[in-house]
Amino acid sequence: MFHRIRNFLNSIISKIFGKKRDLKIGLYGPVNAGKTTLANRICMDWLGEELGTASAIPHETREIQMKEKVTMQHNGKSITFNLVDTPGIATKIDFEDFLKFGMKSKEAKQRATEATKGVIEAIKWLDNMDLVLIVMDATEDPLNQVNITLLGNLDARKIPVLIVANKMDLRKANLSKIRDAFPNYELMGISAKDGRHIKDLYARIFKMI
Amino acid sequence: MLKDLKKDTIILIDAKLDPKHEAELIKKTMEEVSEKFAGIEISSLEISPAKNDPYHSIRDLLFHISTGKKRGMTIIGPAKIIHKIEKNPEEIMVYV
Repeated sequence: MFHRIRNFLNSIISKIFGKKRDLKIGLYGPVNAGKTTLANRICMDWLGEELGTASAIPHETREIQMKEKVTMQHNGKSITFNLVDTPGIATKIDFEDFLKFGMKSKEAKQRATEATKGVIEAIKWLDNMDLVLIVMDATEDPLNQVNITLLGNLDARKIPVLIVANKMDLRKANLSKIRDAFPNYELMGISAKDGRHIKDLYARIFKMI
Repeated sequence: MLKDLKKDTIILIDAKLDPKHEAELIKKTMEEVSEKFAGIEISSLEISPAKNDPYHSIRDLLFHISTGKKRGMTIIGPAKIIHKIEKNPEEIMVYV
């Protein structure tokens, strides 16, 4: 409720002064889609430093991580925003999955506990966002409930969405599958790992803000 | 609902859950995750009336107005029982 009131007041202020205060761009999506890898690439490109740790082990990001005052420039214009990297949204977290990565039982249970709190926080922070990039793994089936629930919630809150199909460097990547699944959304394919189409992503963010 | 899910029950709802309710369900599920309960698998399908089918369009509208829900189906089950849910636009396949 407090976030909704604050967002409403922010929109009134921006209408009066013609300027968005405290712009927040959020990276959301399922686990291991490459959100933190993308956040790190954006921060390296514009700030010269990374935001967080990326890993193949699920739920590496277990807390909201924010980098303030990221200034992006394009065609002589600039925008400044806070970049928010969120924990991967999941409907299930089984500590036994972490054991496969060589983790001990106690560490795996702790990670699972932290991951559940991270998912809850990520959902709560949806209300704070001005633009959301939903990062999807382009090698996976996009029609999963996490993607559908995220898109539905962003539509309900009237928050602009850009679907970012990541891992386009991999042979199994299939952009058209995502386009067919979500034809009514802005979509683009990138590789956060090798940087392909990242400049196009920045140009698209400019258009959408 | 979570009490039943924690008792290894699969729940079938004859409506599509509102996205905000889905998000709330995910939050509540995360609060209940433990060594014995890993969470849920969930999938929903919205039944859209055929084009040029005014009868079903009106019926669906009345259903939505009276219940706040959309016609369709939602299946929710414990992750330990449901191995995978696959979905294409018109059907859901549940693997247990």
